[in-house]
Amino acid sequence: MLEEFGRIVIATVIAWILFLSIDIFWRLPWKGGVSGADSIGKAIAEKGGDQHGGWMMGNIVCSPDASAGILLAACGVFVAGIPGGIAAAILVYIGNRICHDRGYAGTSGALIATFVIAAFLQIGFLASDFIAGMVLAILTIQGISHIHASRLIGYFWRWRA
Amino acid sequence: MESLIAAAICLTIALYGAIRAVLEKRTLLKLPFVNVMNFGIAGLIVFILPHPLTLVAAVAYFVGSTLEANAIASAYARRKPE
Repeated sequence: MLEEFGRIVIATVIAWILFLSIDIFWRLPWKGGVSGADSIGKAIAEKGGDQHGGWMMGNIVCSPDASAGILLAACGVFVAGIPGGIAAAILVYIGNRICHDRGYAGTSGALIATFVIAAFLQIGFLASDFIAGMVLAILTIQGISHIHASRLIGYFWRWRA
Repeated sequence: MESLIAAAICLTIALYGAIRAVLEKRTLLKLPFVNVMNFGIAGLIVFILPHPLTLVAAVAYFVGSTLEANAIASAYARRKPE
């Protein structure tokens, strides 16, 4: 019981680092990809948040990005092992194309996450830990405080740009 | 049931996201909370029915809800100048 909590906490940290680094690598905070993402970013900036962080949060809302890729890859590994993770990557790519996105972040996130999760399965983790971990990781970015989360992303973005 | 705690976490976060979305006043700022709820529900679908085809259902739910959020946000962006 306690062991599962520990695994979920570690999986949360790994998922958090993985999805932020992939999203920032693919320049999601650079600008709002579609008009909806742009206006969400401006609404967060109006409220006192960071503009680039707001754009990245808008992009996460408006198209399946690396966070969705990691979640669905974890789901795929949970139900069908590594082939499930790769199937999830293909489905995420199709979903990205539906949402007018080029689909690099979501697809690469799903593929990288499949192999990271497969590696962690070898040392006693379960794919379900990563599903809960990714849900917790997205909670810290999108669900607690928009202002503070956008400032944190803006800080990482300035460090990358 | 090894993954019961993980499923409970997904359910709790989905409920939390839904409540925060209801409490938030501005429509555009509701959408990130709805996104949190979608993540929780997509995870929960897989926990409730662990079968390979469930993955397709979870992806269909997630992409569909993302597309809806995209549509709501872009419709709002267009009506802003009035």
